[in-house]
Amino acid sequence: MNVDLRRVSKTFNGQGKPLLALDQVTLDIASGEFICIIGPSGCGKSTLLHLIADQIAPTQGNILLDGAPPAAARKRKAIAWMAQNPALLPWQTVLDNVSLPLHINRQYQRNAPSPVTLLEVMGLADFHAMYPHTLSGGMQQRVALARALSTGAPLWLMDEPFAALDELTRETLTEEVLQLWDDFRPTVLWVTHQIAEAARLADRVVIITAHPGRIHSIVPIKIARPRDETAPEIVAIIRDLRALLRHPQNQQPRARIVRGLF
Amino acid sequence: MPHDDMEDKPLTHLADKGSAPTVTDRKAHPTLAGKNAHPTLAGRNAELARDIVPTSILMGIVLLGWELAVRLRHVPTYILPAPSLIAATLWRHAPTYLSAAAITLSEALGGLLIGLWVGIIVAITITFWSNLERGILALAILLKATPMVAIAPLLIIWFGFGALPKIIITAIITFFPVLINVHSGLNAVDEALLALFHSLNASRWELFRYARWPSALPYLFAALKVVAPLSLVGAVVAEWAGASVGLGRTMWLAYTNLNLPALFAAVFCSATMGVGLYTVVIAVEKQVVFWKAKEE
Repeated sequence: MNVDLRRVSKTFNGQGKPLLALDQVTLDIASGEFICIIGPSGCGKSTLLHLIADQIAPTQGNILLDGAPPAAARKRKAIAWMAQNPALLPWQTVLDNVSLPLHINRQYQRNAPSPVTLLEVMGLADFHAMYPHTLSGGMQQRVALARALSTGAPLWLMDEPFAALDELTRETLTEEVLQLWDDFRPTVLWVTHQIAEAARLADRVVIITAHPGRIHSIVPIKIARPRDETAPEIVAIIRDLRALLRHPQNQQPRARIVRGLF
Repeated sequence: MPHDDMEDKPLTHLADKGSAPTVTDRKAHPTLAGKNAHPTLAGRNAELARDIVPTSILMGIVLLGWELAVRLRHVPTYILPAPSLIAATLWRHAPTYLSAAAITLSEALGGLLIGLWVGIIVAITITFWSNLERGILALAILLKATPMVAIAPLLIIWFGFGALPKIIITAIITFFPVLINVHSGLNAVDEALLALFHSLNASRWELFRYARWPSALPYLFAALKVVAPLSLVGAVVAEWAGASVGLGRTMWLAYTNLNLPALFAAVFCSATMGVGLYTVVIAVEKQVVFWKAKEE
């Protein structure tokens, strides 16, 4: 599913003066692309995801998913949503949680692997009858990921999915996500705080600056996966991404990245 | 070597680890072991003892002090009867108290069930049709603010000395806490869950069935814990206002005759049933809202 953002702005009308959260964001994402969005806290990267997920409406501009507005995609269960909070149903077993997308909005069933298969793929088969509160945070996120996959959605919107987990678990899970992405080839928008994570995952890294949220630069990473964080070319990208985030007014590092890559 | 005395427990622990699937998430193993390691019978008995022993000791001290005070100071029976006398009264007239208690309990349970269902149905109704919310809640508060002691005689004038006025009073007492709590619970669905259901384009019914109703269950039981013992109080108050049978009637008769042992015996019956109902609610809650018990 391709994602097309045309001069999208979002203003929040809180108490006092209105807050411009996103300003004229234009972004074209091809079908099957893996996009990471990074930026400082409060830069509007989550807002961007909420807009694409049809959870809020843009103040200005257009969002098109395969040429149609986000509401149409959401109604067809074409969007898999996943956030930092695993949001599992504590009163349902792991298997029932993963099967939830099949029980809800039944008239749209997609070509997706069965929940049982998904549990096997994700190493959750032995946990199928357990309840979420008996699982660790990492396992809960794994269940949430399996549930997202069981929608069979061609677009994955992931808002810092593993931010609450320890580093090792996070690494393992991101590797699994890459593997699954390779199998299913959805379009992925992945919001993260972790520069190294973005460098390891993305086809393109979108850097957003705060106040107001604008796309500062888009950094393509054309290195084959799996990527080793300690490899010199990845280290260089991480260093440049960090420089871009730290000194957004300084345009020099970006030029260097682009030269270095092409 | 410490191995000898540790033999049985660590072995089951190891067995759990051995059967665990090969997952990279290390945190999974301790939780898996925790799930399979059921509390032993001895452990459960110890838990029971921990709950019951202090209460029993405290009750024993209070009863003993009461008994001694009455005997040593020669308090007349029409002021304060000794616990032993109350127990003797209870024992001598056990069938009378049992039948009176059975009647009061059935009235309380009848009212409890009606108040419960009406409360739940109204809470669901105002959740689905939120424009009714303010009006219905205002009416419910009006009903709640009306003193039951004043309504009880009125209901007896209208419906006679039978069970109906008692059931109505108990139902009114039950209705309000159930309505307020279930209404809160139905609206207490986690923000993240709402986002998930929205992303799946869930209907209002699907959201209710999979998220709102289960979220409301812990709130429902919180209300029940308050309301179950209170239902007996409601039934007794209504009987006091006018009845031919029941514990309230027994109390009223004993009171007008200054027969304090009988009054205390009836109070004891009512209080014991209140504790009993509370215990039943707790036991059912543990089964129904199992995920909350484990969270704590």
